Formats: sequence, C-alpha cells, structure tokens
Amino acid sequence: MTDITTPSRRIGSHVFLMVLLVAFLAPVVWALLSALKPANDIIRAPLTFDPSTVTLDNYIAMFRDVPIGQGFVNTGIVLVAKGAITMFFAPLAAFAFAKYRFVGKNVIFGAVLVTLMLPTIVLIIPLLLQMKEFGWVNTYQALILPGSVDAFAIFWMRQVISAVPDELLDAARVDGSGEFGIFWRVVVPVIRPGLAGLAVLTTMNIYNDFVWPVVVASSDRMATLQVMLSTLAQNITGNRIGADYATVTGELLAASSVALIPLLVLFILLQRHFINGILAGSVKG
Amino acid sequence: MRGARRRLAPYVFVLPFVVVFLVFSVYPLIFTARLSFTNWRGTGAAEWVGWDNYTYLLTNPAFWNSLGNSGVLWLLIVPVQIALGVLVAVLLNSATLRLRGLYRVAFIVPFVTPLVAVAQIWVVLFDQGYGAVNALLGVFGLPDVGWLTTSTWAKPTLALLFLWKTTGFIVIILLSGLQSINGSLYEAAELDGASKPRQLVSITVPLLRRTIMFAVVLQTLAVFQMFAEPFVVTQGGPYNSTTTAGYYLYNHITRADLGTGAANSFLLVILVMALSLFFVRLLRAKD
Repeated sequence: MTDITTPSRRIGSHVFLMVLLVAFLAPVVWALLSALKPANDIIRAPLTFDPSTVTLDNYIAMFRDVPIGQGFVNTGIVLVAKGAITMFFAPLAAFAFAKYRFVGKNVIFGAVLVTLMLPTIVLIIPLLLQMKEFGWVNTYQALILPGSVDAFAIFWMRQVISAVPDELLDAARVDGSGEFGIFWRVVVPVIRPGLAGLAVLTTMNIYNDFVWPVVVASSDRMATLQVMLSTLAQNITGNRIGADYATVTGELLAASSVALIPLLVLFILLQRHFINGILAGSVKG
Repeated sequence: MRGARRRLAPYVFVLPFVVVFLVFSVYPLIFTARLSFTNWRGTGAAEWVGWDNYTYLLTNPAFWNSLGNSGVLWLLIVPVQIALGVLVAVLLNSATLRLRGLYRVAFIVPFVTPLVAVAQIWVVLFDQGYGAVNALLGVFGLPDVGWLTTSTWAKPTLALLFLWKTTGFIVIILLSGLQSINGSLYEAAELDGASKPRQLVSITVPLLRRTIMFAVVLQTLAVFQMFAEPFVVTQGGPYNSTTTAGYYLYNHITRADLGTGAANSFLLVILVMALSLFFVRLLRAKD
C-alpha cells in the first residue's frame, strides 16, 4: 500500500479523481436528464436543465414510435433461456473438470481453452451460413444456442469448484448420494458466491450482446433491445433537418435511458458481485 | 454399479458443452476454411477460386485502410488507457484515500452501460451543430469542431468513446495486480529516501508489468475487433476514416461477399493472434 502523505498531494489526487469521476458519470447523467427536457431544449440549450420544464413527452413519443417493448421481450427471452443454459451446464461441466479423472479430459478442456481464445468475429460468417442452412435466421434458437454453455463460465467455475474440499464430496458419497446429487446438494450451495458473480457477468454479457444479434436477428420482430437501439441511431444521422432532428434526438435519448436503467439499477444493488464478476471476466481473451 | 456410474458421470456432465462446441465452433470453422477458397455469395453453386480471395484482400487498399484505421485507434487508445489506468489504480490503492468506494463505483459505471446506448448518446453529444460538447467549447469561446463529420476528428471521437467505456475495467484489473505487490518494498524505499513518483517508476510499474501486458493484450484484441462503435456512431465514415478491421469484415456480409469475408476473418485472426503473441513475448523477454 502506498500512502499519499503530503496534504498538497492528497488534495491534488482528489482533484484529479474528481475530474475523472465527473467525466465518467457526465454522459450518463446528461442523457438521463436531457431525456426529461422538451425536445427542442435538448438541442437549443444542451447544457442547461430547468426542473420546471420536466416532461415525459420524449418517453411517450418513443414508446409510440419504437416497438421497444418487443425489444425488451426479445432480450428477456434470450436472457432467461441462454442464461439458464449457461448457469446450469457450465458449472456442471466445470465440476467434471475440477473433480473427476477421465480419459479425454485434457482434450476436452483444450476445446474449452480454444473456444475462449477464438475471436468472436471469426465465427460470425460461418455461423450465419449455418443458421441459414438450419432455417434459423431471425429465430430465438439462433440468438440462444450459439455461445451458450459459455467457455469462460466453465473456465472460471472450474477454478471455483477446485477449491471445494474433496472430503465434502466423499462424505456425501458415503451417505449414498449419486454423482449428480453431489453436484446439486453439495457443490452448488458451497459455490453460491461464485455463482452470483457468474450470474451478474452472464446477465451483463447477454443483455449487451450486439454483434451476433445484429447479424442474425435484425428483423423488426426479432430485434433485441440493443439491435433496436442501433438502427434508431442511424435514423438520426440520416435525418438532420431542424425540428425533426430535435424530436428524433429526444426519442433517442429516451430509448437509451430506458436501456441503461435496468443495468444501472442492477449494478447499484449488486456492486460487489459485479466487480467480482468483471474481475474474473477479465481473464477472458 | 456405483463405480460404473462414477466413471460415466463426468462424460455426461461435459456432454452439453461438447455438443455446442462441435456444432457451433468446429463445424463452422471447417466451413469457413473451405468457404475462404470459393466465391460463394450465399446462394447457388460455389466456385473454387484458390487463393484469389486472399490475394484480392492483400492487394486491396481498402483492406489495408481498415487495418491502418484500427492501428491508429490502437495508438490513440491503448497507451493513454494504460498510463491513466496505472495512475488511477495507484491512487485508489492508497490506504489513506477517502471516498475510495465512491470512485471505484463511479469508474465502473461506464463498463456496465450497454455499448449501443452509449454510442447513441455519443452521436447526440458530439453533434457539430446541436451537441453538448460544442456548446461547452462555445462557453470557453472555442470554435465548433466537426467531431463526427471530419476524417481528422472522427477517430479521436471513437477512441474517446472506447476509453470512456473501458478504462474503469482496466483500473480494476490493475488494482488487483497492485494488491499482490509486497508492501515492505515501499517501506524499504521510504527508508532509502525515495520520493513517491520515484517509487511509482522504480517499484510499481516493473512489478505490475505482467498485469499491464495482460491488459494490453486484452485491449489489442478488443480494438482490432471494434465494431459496434463505428456501426452506430459513424457507419465507418467520413471517407472510410473509421472503417475499422471489424467493420470492414462486416461489410463483406452485407454485400453477401461471403468467400472474401471468410478469408478476411482468417487474416484478421492471424493478425490478432500474432499481435497477442508479440506482446506475450515482450513480457517473457524481460522476465
């Protein structure tokens, strides 16, 4: 631990950190507040906020013009299905890697590492063609199945489960528990903090995922929240005429705010798990 | 009976992963390898064209332009981010710093916000005529800047978005690296009369080298795959100045030029892997 000893240095570091803090929070705060301003004021007076003019007009217009509810439903379905698959099967596979010896283990774990290191973009085109072959373009299956049973989740949970004492597992075996019973009734309760971190990271990744959804599910009916937001932005850049621009900007900020809020709330409630998840997630290449 | 079940159990447990791996990684990879030697456009028969897609790309200025753009973005992002990250992490690691929790949370906020939503906010904030950033410059009597409409400023504006979004994450990684440094080293340096900046350069940075290199590799991969930022904010423009390697690859898909796209994927993976290896070597050489 380094100490910041002299008072002038201590003040200096607080000034520096405060400037950064403002820079990091400003865009989000600005967007949340601006979405509540009359559309014309957002572009005419972008730096001021007058509480007496607060209005929900941008939100009302946005909900009228953008099928954002459908976006939430689509993202929600993918989040629940893909999240559940990863949260169940990844720790299960990790359990096998951490606590069993079996022929072919190294080869299969090698496959986990390869999946981890493969850049997402290399698989986009072949996966898209595969989805066409299956007739899965613009379906939930296409959004859910590729990338489920996440390799990083296996990698991380393997480390977590390795720390569970073998004696606990053997004791359960003596008591007549089956192999799956050991996983479900002994391992899962013990690694609950790790699972919480994984749940948070998985939620964040699926909610924010963009590259694959925009390629495979860009139809209006199937667009996830992020895909829906991305085309809204293109409307605004292609459409820069006076009053129209103000209206579109207002709706855009309202839509962005609606997309931001769930994760911000989750983050504030579950800070510690978030930071653990992110830290563990940093191992991902 | 029990022994057999115990031998069989691990195979059952890893089976779902293996199925997903074979169907959605191995099969597509083999498929791309073959595809990269054809001129297939998504329908009809594929014609074998040998190395044509590769030579087409390697002699195409647009391909090199996309790599160059990603290279410039790398220069604008990674060195700045590492320097800033180390400084912030060292300050946050101080035992006597107040408000540490507040700073930590504030710096992570950008990382948990959805990139597409933030990219959109960027479009509005950096608009030349109506944006808040130019309005702020106006307050100080500075002229408007065409952040998104000039090829000079479009890259720095995207770099700023990337820096804003991921620097907090880098700080957290560096912070975890710092916490593994032995505190007695600093006490010894203190006794020898070494100043704080001196300690930063002579103790912290050398011992943090592994973590720093790790962060560099991570961000190199991310910068060369950068896609959502140009897709939402600039659509690769103006004048292709923000057509990153990742965005250029995506353009092949929209043009249904799948053979070329497949070849481009492989070239990009080779480049990214080579860069990562280079940085890992750099780390090893000094160890």
